[in-house]
Amino acid sequence: MTSSTIAITRPAHAPSMTLLAWGGLALAGGLLLPWFRTGRDLASFVAGTTGIELLGSEPAVAAALVCALLSAILGMLKLPLYRRGQLALVTAAAGCTLVVLALVGHGQPMGPAPVVVFLGFLSLVGVGLSLSGYLRADAFIAASIVWVAVFVVLFILYPLWAVLQASVVVKGRLTLEVFGTVFQSPNFLMINNPYTPRDEIRIAVTFGAVVAAVSGLVAAVLARKLRPVVVWAAGSGIAGLLISALYLGFGAVRNSVLLALVVGVASTGLGFLFALLAERSQLPTRRLLGPISILPIITPPFVLGLAMVYLFGRQGFVTHSVLGMSTTVFSGLLGLSIAQILAYTPIAFLLLQGVVRAMDVALEEASETLGASNWYTLRTVIWPLARPGIANAFLLTVIESLADFGNPVVIGGGKPYLATEVFYAIIGRYNPNEAAVFGVVLLSMTLTIFLIQRYWVGERFYVTVTGRPTHATPRKLPRALDYAVTGVFLVWVLLIVLLYGSIFVGSVTKLWGFDYTFTLAHVKGLSPSGWYVFRTTASLSLIAALPSTALGFLIGYLVTRYSFPGRRALEFSSMLSFAVPGTVMGIGYILAFNQGTLLLTGTELIIIMAFVFRNMPVAIRSGVAAIHQIDRSLEECSTMLRAGSLTTLRRVVAPLVQAALLSGLVFAFVRAMTAVSQVIFLVTPRVNLSTALILSYVEHGSMGRAAALSSVLVVFMAVVIMIMYSVTTRIDARAGRGAQAKP
Amino acid sequence: MAVPATQLKQVLHQAASPVRFERVTKRFGTVMAVDDVTLKVPAGNLVTLLGPSGCGKTTALRMIAGLEWPTEGRVYIGDEDVTPLPAANRSVTMVFQAYALFPHLTVFENIAYGLRVMRRPHEEIRHRVGEAMSLVGLPGLERRAPAQLSGGQQQRVALARALVMQPKVLLFDEPLSNLDAKLRKRVRADIRMLQQDLGITSIYVTHDQSEALAISDIVVVMNQGRIEQIGTPTDLYRRPASRFVADFIGEANLLPAVVEDGTVRVGSYRFPYRQPGVATGAATLMVRPESVQVGVGGEGLPGRVQTAFFMGTYADYLIETEAGEVSVADPRSVDGIYPMGTEVRLLFSPTALYLLPPGA
Repeated sequence: MTSSTIAITRPAHAPSMTLLAWGGLALAGGLLLPWFRTGRDLASFVAGTTGIELLGSEPAVAAALVCALLSAILGMLKLPLYRRGQLALVTAAAGCTLVVLALVGHGQPMGPAPVVVFLGFLSLVGVGLSLSGYLRADAFIAASIVWVAVFVVLFILYPLWAVLQASVVVKGRLTLEVFGTVFQSPNFLMINNPYTPRDEIRIAVTFGAVVAAVSGLVAAVLARKLRPVVVWAAGSGIAGLLISALYLGFGAVRNSVLLALVVGVASTGLGFLFALLAERSQLPTRRLLGPISILPIITPPFVLGLAMVYLFGRQGFVTHSVLGMSTTVFSGLLGLSIAQILAYTPIAFLLLQGVVRAMDVALEEASETLGASNWYTLRTVIWPLARPGIANAFLLTVIESLADFGNPVVIGGGKPYLATEVFYAIIGRYNPNEAAVFGVVLLSMTLTIFLIQRYWVGERFYVTVTGRPTHATPRKLPRALDYAVTGVFLVWVLLIVLLYGSIFVGSVTKLWGFDYTFTLAHVKGLSPSGWYVFRTTASLSLIAALPSTALGFLIGYLVTRYSFPGRRALEFSSMLSFAVPGTVMGIGYILAFNQGTLLLTGTELIIIMAFVFRNMPVAIRSGVAAIHQIDRSLEECSTMLRAGSLTTLRRVVAPLVQAALLSGLVFAFVRAMTAVSQVIFLVTPRVNLSTALILSYVEHGSMGRAAALSSVLVVFMAVVIMIMYSVTTRIDARAGRGAQAKP
Repeated sequence: MAVPATQLKQVLHQAASPVRFERVTKRFGTVMAVDDVTLKVPAGNLVTLLGPSGCGKTTALRMIAGLEWPTEGRVYIGDEDVTPLPAANRSVTMVFQAYALFPHLTVFENIAYGLRVMRRPHEEIRHRVGEAMSLVGLPGLERRAPAQLSGGQQQRVALARALVMQPKVLLFDEPLSNLDAKLRKRVRADIRMLQQDLGITSIYVTHDQSEALAISDIVVVMNQGRIEQIGTPTDLYRRPASRFVADFIGEANLLPAVVEDGTVRVGSYRFPYRQPGVATGAATLMVRPESVQVGVGGEGLPGRVQTAFFMGTYADYLIETEAGEVSVADPRSVDGIYPMGTEVRLLFSPTALYLLPPGA
């Protein structure tokens, strides 16, 4: 006997209002609303396609509506609950299938009716799963699981599938042709350039051999054992070979990978130093780290690139006006890596600050009492403890760098990068298949790194947090190190201030590099179209922030508190957006939602959906973190006091995660406001976004306007974030008062 | 429907229902948490599920609550098979281990929570909450936050919140584990008195055997998902059904013995002892530490003092004998304890001995 065979002894039951309501809703929506629209306009309905009018001509529609009717009737039949659930499951599943059939068969863009009917059936599937006992959860939870699963499949997995498909299917034919063409093009990767006299491969091999010999020798002197010598020689030899080959080569892969490696190493290194500074420094400058680490969140990613052009470009303030040079050396890999390092160091810093903070000082003290020197403690205690965290930060910054779209466009010097090639292949060369191939290559790189990060490094985090508070004060950095790191940090701060300053000054300067007179022309030039786009961006971001946060927290709640088939798959796919570069998701949306019944491109809705599912993983993470703070017995207690899961969520969980919810909401909003890589594919002249507009200003040489709009965005976001912080501090203080005031 | 103040007791008394487990099994993956358990809890009794951690007692409790579902078997409350019912529909409430008071609600709102969920009218809620609060003795604390209360007060809020729902069965999941030793004694007396006063069916989970003995009508000793023994506290202490129970309930010396006609022999010590239903031959004798007298010379099991500790009201010995180590709590040697190495003789007082059933 298994759990599913538990029979119910009570013979008859009261009518099930849930079945009745959802069945009725599906029926009414299906009958009264139009099933199809004519085009991209969401409000353009095809006349004569309401359910009532289609009943005779569309058998699938009629059958689906019969299913809805049956579900509603089921709610009133005197049946045992589990039987009712099983029947509801069957009719609702049939209804879902029929709706899909009706839409696919017709091929026109769908109207509101199928959405209402389909969602109605999804809820009924959930209710059925719950009543039948196949899922040990109440109807709300079961329906939530079904809804969330369908949304994740439709808006995350399906677009990715479309990219994959477009890379190997050309005009209905399965082929690897496109891969072949792209892989052979010098734009993709060329190691041995036939137009240079040197043989790059030979140089790389020689370099690799030299590196291997040197590091083998060093290892031999230091370790005097065979194994480390072999490992070090082989490892550094291969690394040297690859890096020198990349350095000498050309093409998008070379540029992106080289960039990502440099940026990953530099940002992680700086991030770790700054983390030490924040946690262990004795100097007051460490207080600057908090506010500065927020900057990348409130800044569109390419603003630093834009500022780099201002300061170090051909007409740059530093390079031209101060130093009198006319150089393009900063436009390209060098400038780009500086811009990215500045942008991603705070991300690495935030990740590593946690690692440094979590290190148990007692371990270091133990090492010291055993007679170890500072250096020895660093090498044998701190470094092994921090290593997984550092690897984690490195991999994540590498993903960020590979996926970055805005900076390469602004300051990439016209060279190809994987993320930008995806865009130019589809928007410039009108070749979706080529774009898809670039997308697949980029995706496979980021996904590999993501998997390494998640399953290899992620599990090697040494948790030295024991739950009991250690009151030991953190050990201070040695004074010399403290001053040195603070020096580096101050240079970094200076650079940041200069860069942001140049954007603000640039927005009120007549013609940067030529004529530095004050003007308000750029700010005035934003009206009307600039302001209009800004308002559109703000309202779409706001609309998207709500479902994005709600969905994220709901998924976080479901995966932490319930076990159901597919839970891991759901968790993994909804976290995928961390690994999927925005440009790949962007082309996925173009390919998936550009025709047929799912036509959404050119509407506000597709941008909202892009925002929602792009920012959801962040909400999931903070949701999971917040829910882990709540003792599970609070929810169980609520359940035993007769509350359903919706009531429990509303009355117990939501009030306790209030602050996290609010900041989740604000971050979803801010991230949407600054998003660029995915939505750049989806904007149209009618539905445009600030970031895309800034990029097009840059493209058309209106740098002043680009700076003006960037400044407006940055200031607006800073204000929003500051308001949020003051509100959440107040919420936390209120929650804390109750907890602290123990007599 | 407003309930007059004097009536909550009556309502609770009437609501009290028996609970029945019929061949209940719960598996988590391959782990057998509860293994084919059949159990009857009479209405109005306080029954304790006692056992070491991981013995399945909490899982069993959570299956009554509806927070876990049996893999096999059925659970009844009163005459109703509640196996398929979710927690919300079982008329069962629970006092959680860490009380699970909602930190964002006041004391009043915590107690009112279930009534609010049921959308009872405002007046009724106020009345019933007030009644429950006076029942557990929490006057004037309505507007405090849970964090502002002492441990004992928090405990009473949790109890009031459970009682106000007029449950058929009240569950306790190690409710005293968060209190310090002194308070624990007082609160467990409070719980017992209230439970007897209300006559409400209560199921109480603990791993603390002294708590179980002190508070229960019936104790169910569990081990590795199975029931080892069901009985009154005295039963369990005096007549344990297995080595496990003998060892778990209080301290026990389990000595190899030989039963002969009318006498029992442990090592070279033979004394008269009869226990109905015990066949002659090899057996295991349970001797409680407090029923051993230590003396020098004369009759008894010879041994040598290995360790001796002065414990205030008694002396704690570990004595090496030919039948193995014997632990002794001797109240008479308070002023003069035998030092280590002393050759002593042990006498067992026959009223506190028990021969374990063979094979146990």
